[in-house]
Amino acid sequence: MAGNGETIVKLAGINKTFYRGKEPIPVLDSLDLDVPSGSFEALMGPSGSGKSTLLNIIAGLDRPSRGSVSVAGSQLDKMSDGELAKWRSQTIGFVFQSFNLIPVLTAAQNVELPLLLTGLSGAERKKRVATALRIVGLEDRMDHYPRQMSGGQEQRVAIARAIVNDPKIIVADEPTGDLDRKSADDVLTLMTKLNKELGKTIFMVTHDPHAAEVATVQRKLDKGALL
Amino acid sequence: MNIATYARRNLFRRKGRTILTMVAIALAVLIFSIIRTVIYEWNRGAEEAAQDRLAIRHKVSITMELPYKYIDEVRATPGVTKATWANWFGAKDPKERIPFFAGFAADQNSFFDVMDEMSVDPKVLEEWRNTPNGAILGDLIAKTFEVKPGDDVTIASDIYPGDWKFKVVGIYKPLRKTVDRNSFIFRWDYLNNSDAVPPPMKDKIGWILARIDDAAHSAQIAKSIDAKFEDHDDQTSAMSERAFQLSFMGGFTAILTAFDYASVGILLILMLVLANAIAMSVRERTHEYGVLRAIGFPPAHIVGFIVGESVLIAVIGGLIGVAMTAGLINGVMGPFLEENMSGWFPYFSTPPYVMGLAMVAAIGVGIFAGALPAYRASKLKVTDALRRLD
Amino acid sequence: MVPVSYNVRSLLVRKVTTIVTALGIALVVFVFAASRMLTEGVNAAMATSGRPDTVIVLRKGSDNELSSGLPMDAVAKLRAHPQVSQAAGAGAIGELVQVVMAPHEGGSGEVSNVTIRGIPEDGIAFRPEVKITSGRAPKPGTNEVVVGKAIAGRFKGFEIGGTVELRHNRPLSVVGIFDAGGSSYDSEVWCDREFMGQTLGRTGNVSSVRVRLNSASDFEAYRREIEGTANKDFAAKVQREADYYRDQSAQIGTFLKFIGMFFAIMFSLAAMIGAAITMNAAVAHRSREIGTLRALGFGRFSILFSFVFEALLLAVAGGVIGSIAVLGLSFVTFPMMNFQTFSEIVIRFHAAPSVFIWSLVFALVMGLIGGLVPAIRASRVSPVEAMRA
Repeated sequence: MAGNGETIVKLAGINKTFYRGKEPIPVLDSLDLDVPSGSFEALMGPSGSGKSTLLNIIAGLDRPSRGSVSVAGSQLDKMSDGELAKWRSQTIGFVFQSFNLIPVLTAAQNVELPLLLTGLSGAERKKRVATALRIVGLEDRMDHYPRQMSGGQEQRVAIARAIVNDPKIIVADEPTGDLDRKSADDVLTLMTKLNKELGKTIFMVTHDPHAAEVATVQRKLDKGALL
Repeated sequence: MNIATYARRNLFRRKGRTILTMVAIALAVLIFSIIRTVIYEWNRGAEEAAQDRLAIRHKVSITMELPYKYIDEVRATPGVTKATWANWFGAKDPKERIPFFAGFAADQNSFFDVMDEMSVDPKVLEEWRNTPNGAILGDLIAKTFEVKPGDDVTIASDIYPGDWKFKVVGIYKPLRKTVDRNSFIFRWDYLNNSDAVPPPMKDKIGWILARIDDAAHSAQIAKSIDAKFEDHDDQTSAMSERAFQLSFMGGFTAILTAFDYASVGILLILMLVLANAIAMSVRERTHEYGVLRAIGFPPAHIVGFIVGESVLIAVIGGLIGVAMTAGLINGVMGPFLEENMSGWFPYFSTPPYVMGLAMVAAIGVGIFAGALPAYRASKLKVTDALRRLD
Repeated sequence: MVPVSYNVRSLLVRKVTTIVTALGIALVVFVFAASRMLTEGVNAAMATSGRPDTVIVLRKGSDNELSSGLPMDAVAKLRAHPQVSQAAGAGAIGELVQVVMAPHEGGSGEVSNVTIRGIPEDGIAFRPEVKITSGRAPKPGTNEVVVGKAIAGRFKGFEIGGTVELRHNRPLSVVGIFDAGGSSYDSEVWCDREFMGQTLGRTGNVSSVRVRLNSASDFEAYRREIEGTANKDFAAKVQREADYYRDQSAQIGTFLKFIGMFFAIMFSLAAMIGAAITMNAAVAHRSREIGTLRALGFGRFSILFSFVFEALLLAVAGGVIGSIAVLGLSFVTFPMMNFQTFSEIVIRFHAAPSVFIWSLVFALVMGLIGGLVPAIRASRVSPVEAMRA
């Protein structure tokens, strides 16, 4: 784990242009970003400002059209797709707006998914799953299916899945977007706990002003540039 | 849990579709097995032909006859232990109870000696030699004509005019399943002496069946027999009994080829059905595959999930199909055909190798059906997959 | 009623699924149409093989030319009747028919029985539909023969300049190929009757006699005269040519029809399941749409009808593809052994219009059966579905 204060995300000169047919649509323009380890960042901005695109680049899901991307000591723009996949499984934990749990698997089995990419034994995997679910406070729901849980509970299981591999960075795209106020607060409390007690770096994109408040750093993105 | 659990659980996602797909696979496996069993059993009679017997006929046509004296020369050929002959009678039932049955005029002294898979009581043979118009019947034809030993029976002929009355002296017992149970055998001399055969056509025989001492010498002995009659007007064509029976099958090659194509055709249809079902499931789960790839599952894993699910469905459907095959063909259809169409199919059961072939085909179909959807899913960019909300 | 364009658009939106399902149906229609073309081929061969004003006479009790025999002088006697046309190239002709084992061209070593017909001098003239398409007619009294177009080139020696052995040291020389318009003659070799009789030791009799009557309506009178007790010289059976050929092909025809139907039905089960899977998925996928349509006021029956219609569209697409593909078989011939005569008969796949009509019907039935249950499910979708997230 990177030492506290060290830059864990370094983006330099990032450009990202999408193409609709032949028409170029520039989304990010000469963007620079430094994120210190242990930070809890909230990125806000109007629709279409490129927030999700920036998040995808940091998480190794997408490549910039130009620029250098260094995350947790790896130079992402120089890595192949296969290398990126492996890197993601070891370094990033994902939290999505629509939870994205697999409906045919139980909570425990959903949390176990990222561990299947490691070489750990069945017993070892079970231990880690239990730990993760305990951290999010849902150990008693281990064998329940997503349809048997509320939205807030599903998201917390998703967070357990995000941390089970002990990632360096947690990437969250509108984590409270589909939740009611109470569940949203529960999730935000949990994320604060992960940041303060377990020292996880969190990079969160959000519309929700409550969510932004919980973060330690707030940034705004407008028309492809950071304000 | 492991990756297999995920594959297994996915089967139940859309139970109806999975079940329908498995039914289609089981059906296809059943049809495939039926077709291949028919092809396999078609020539079975020839496979069981006696190894140590030769058939000798007129070289030009089965319908042309050989001179009677040829039998002595064949019997004198080195390697031949005994020989008999028969003439085709073109038998018909005047009451049209049966469309077709085999009627022969054969030598009373040697026929059942050479054709020992038709077993006849020595006392019956004795009586046959004493009864000029005696006939020995198969059990099924006797039942059709409603006669038993001691009764008279009248048949007609395509070739020889008029009604022919015979006295049933006995029933032969078939010692092998491939023996025809509808044969009607009477004395050659009765035919030869009758007015129906005009003097220039007398003393002619249809074909000769010869027993040889060593099956390994079959080809040589056949050649030496043909060589004997090479310079005569009526040349012979001697061959193993198996080749003789297969020579009647030459006219069926086209049908068997069509069957071959059909067995491939059903697999093609199956592949389309399965590929379609898999493609639909993949499309519905594109978003989910995106999530898995975001978490870090490499594209190869995704391909594995999809092809694995396809193969799993194919294998389960295939096993059901094999079970249906064993039950339907070996249990019901087979015995029915063996009893009622024993001329065509003395044996009708699906051999294990066909069932194995069907399973391999099912697995192959599973792989190919899953391949294209899997490839397309793996090529999709993660961010695009996540965007889809199908 | 729900507009047709809705169904067409829906099918086009899911292109891959639509194409794959249609292909499955197309394949089954192909099998069905092919087997029907084969049956029609048998019918066509037999239909062209018989003129209403021509009669075939066999020995009483014989079912085909191969096993029949009549004395040579029967020909003149059969001709001397008021019903018989005495015009040139008509009258009565007596012919010898034999089958010989002919090895297939190529190295397979397989043999089939081929029919050889010994014709008299006016044998070809008797059949105006027969044309020599290459080479020339055989000279009477010689060992020259002509070969029917369906078997030319398929057996060793059956080409112009080739030889066929009728008996040891008695070769027949092939001098021409003839076209009999698709009838069973196309699968025969025609030889000089006298030469054949001498070679086979069958002088003095013929297998069959064909007689041309003045008109088809003279048949009954002629038959009575010949078969009746008035005729003491020989016992004969008189048949219209068309009836004779129909009998000859009865068993094959039934066999092929049965096999064809069997395959078509079995295969169609798989295709119908495929169509059902597709339509089911479509219904599940479009439940929100359907709910919306219902909320807008379309009734249950409209929805049911609409989805059945969509299934039928799919089926018709497959039917058309399969029908077009099967036309390619028109150029393929199918050699078979006629069970009753043990001789080779070559059948063409015959693209009769009825084949395509039945294929379309078959496709529609498949679409209907496959799509009915999903359509019923669609009609049960409640308008509430429109509101679902």
